Amino acid sequence: MSETQALGASPTATPGAGPTRATVRTPAPQSGFAPWKDPSKSPIVRFENIVKRFGDFVAVKECTLDIYEREFFALLGPSGCGKTTLLRMLAGFEKPTSGRILVAGEDITELAPYERPVNMMFQSYALFPHMTVEQNIGFGLKQEGMPKDAIAARVEEAMAMLELSRFGKRKPHQLSGGQQQRVALARAIAKKPRIVLLDEPLGALDKRLRQQAQFELMRIQETTGTTFIIVTHDQEEAMTVSSRIAVMDHGQFMQVATPGDIYEAPNSRYVANFIGDVNLFEGKVVRVADGFVEIDWGPGLARFKSVAPEGCVADQQIWLALRPEKVRIAFEKPSEASNAVPGKVVDVGYLGSISHYHVELANGQRVRALRANSARTVARTINWEDSVWLEWPPETGIVLTR
Amino acid sequence: MRRFSWFNATSIALGFAFLYIPILLLVIYSFNESKLVTVWGGWSTKWYSSLLQNEGLLSAAWVTLRVAVVSSTLATILGTLAAIVLVRIGRFPGRTLFSGLIFAPLVMPEVITGLSLLLLFVAMNVDRGFWTVVIAHATFSMCFAAVVVQARLYDFDKSVEEAAMDLGAPPVKTFLQVTLPIIAPSVISAWLLSFTLSLDDLVIASFATGPGATTLPMKIYSQVRLGVTPEINAVSTIMIGLVTIGVIFASYTTKRASARQEREMKAVDAGAK
Repeated sequence: MSETQALGASPTATPGAGPTRATVRTPAPQSGFAPWKDPSKSPIVRFENIVKRFGDFVAVKECTLDIYEREFFALLGPSGCGKTTLLRMLAGFEKPTSGRILVAGEDITELAPYERPVNMMFQSYALFPHMTVEQNIGFGLKQEGMPKDAIAARVEEAMAMLELSRFGKRKPHQLSGGQQQRVALARAIAKKPRIVLLDEPLGALDKRLRQQAQFELMRIQETTGTTFIIVTHDQEEAMTVSSRIAVMDHGQFMQVATPGDIYEAPNSRYVANFIGDVNLFEGKVVRVADGFVEIDWGPGLARFKSVAPEGCVADQQIWLALRPEKVRIAFEKPSEASNAVPGKVVDVGYLGSISHYHVELANGQRVRALRANSARTVARTINWEDSVWLEWPPETGIVLTR
Repeated sequence: MRRFSWFNATSIALGFAFLYIPILLLVIYSFNESKLVTVWGGWSTKWYSSLLQNEGLLSAAWVTLRVAVVSSTLATILGTLAAIVLVRIGRFPGRTLFSGLIFAPLVMPEVITGLSLLLLFVAMNVDRGFWTVVIAHATFSMCFAAVVVQARLYDFDKSVEEAAMDLGAPPVKTFLQVTLPIIAPSVISAWLLSFTLSLDDLVIASFATGPGATTLPMKIYSQVRLGVTPEINAVSTIMIGLVTIGVIFASYTTKRASARQEREMKAVDAGAK
């Protein structure tokens, strides 16, 4: 992954944290690809003030979102947050209560599913059990009235792309889960739609297969140049595959940004908590000066210093979010540190490449710290009951106002 | 497997004896040499061959078969449509009433069903005959067909239909190319069930029929009133055989379909693991 280097001095590039920990913290897969920043680009999909109610339950609240051509866009959130409803509205299986959906500038809100230029890969794969793999993949082309030999060629192409050529004559029940998943994907891309929708496409696969399938999805998306929209509740999956992520909760977008921004600059406690691990300190702003903010987080506790967010004022209630891998842990009190707190180690988790530490502070709050085991032997290892100091520079904490 | 205790063995023997001794007796007497039904005169198949000369019985059998084929086809189509509406459309105002109305004939006394149909035909001034019997049979066997198809539709993955529509198939094409092939086994067993129901119905047919459309059960019943002949035993034995084959075949198709489905589910699970 050469993109990682582009981050330069970013402290996230934990050395040796390769295979065991899969949280990939790279920004957009194609560096420089950011059509959402380009005002001359028009979106391929636009959700305009979409509201969806099921009886009294509001599944989607006033959502507006632009998705651009060739994007791999992830809708991420816990179950029931409205992400699948949003996808099903784009596919045409649900009608929005109000609002419009546009594809390439054209209003498709009233179109039936079979009239839309989108194809979907279903969570259950929804393969036709009575048809062979070839017939499954060719089904959409047959509906178009494409000539038989053209269908065969296109099916062959899709099967080759997903390494399914050997299974063309089999029925779905004669395939493994991973193979079924690839057939479902092949069927969704066979018609070369402008937009492919993926509803929890890898949910049924085991972890190892899932990671493999994630890279396959990215490869297919890149080679076909299609816009992919994926719905997932798995934050690692969203981080790995997508160019941008919309984090959803209770039918609303909490944040829409690149994986890198979502991780490094979450806009709320909800997002910070949902993506990766985070330590949260609740406190009050004492004062704002020179772009830094001083935080009082309890009587008798040393104040924290952090980069001030925009519009931060004194006495405001805020939360300081701190990623565990950005907390340094040491025996001695660091001499030059803006933020240093003493504590006692209550838990140690050794994972080989990295170690987790749970440190209890004087006020009882527990802080998680993560350290890469870059040296093979250490003079003195940090252990249970050890008194330690936690330290971090003012740039690494994120001050959240909601 | 636990072995039968003597108590279990006795109860099962009593149960089966209760159910099947009369039928067995009828089958045995159909091979009776003697002209007197109740006197055993040795083995013979002569009543089966004399049956072939009995034109009244044969034409009644032909009517019955035609009625059964047409009415069960009609009942299967209507029952399948009703089942789809009940399962697919989900909640709509009056759904409970609607499903109640479809299944009411299941428990309705046949005499009442027959009588009401007769009143309808009379009121509409329809000539009673072949078609009125067909309609009457379709009416009461349709609810059985609906029950059979509905059971299959309940565990049908709706996203398969959505996938077909998503790939560009309008609703009718989706139904013909995807839904129907998948539920075909249950549709076939619904047809077989309706067929057997129509084949052995006496009460409703006697209300709905008219001149020239006497079904076999009616013929048998009217002949029996004049005295049981060994020929009747023979024709009844043939009917028992037909109905048995129909029922066995229907339950076999259903079972095989559900076994295959289970296998497919297992394959999916195993693949996902």
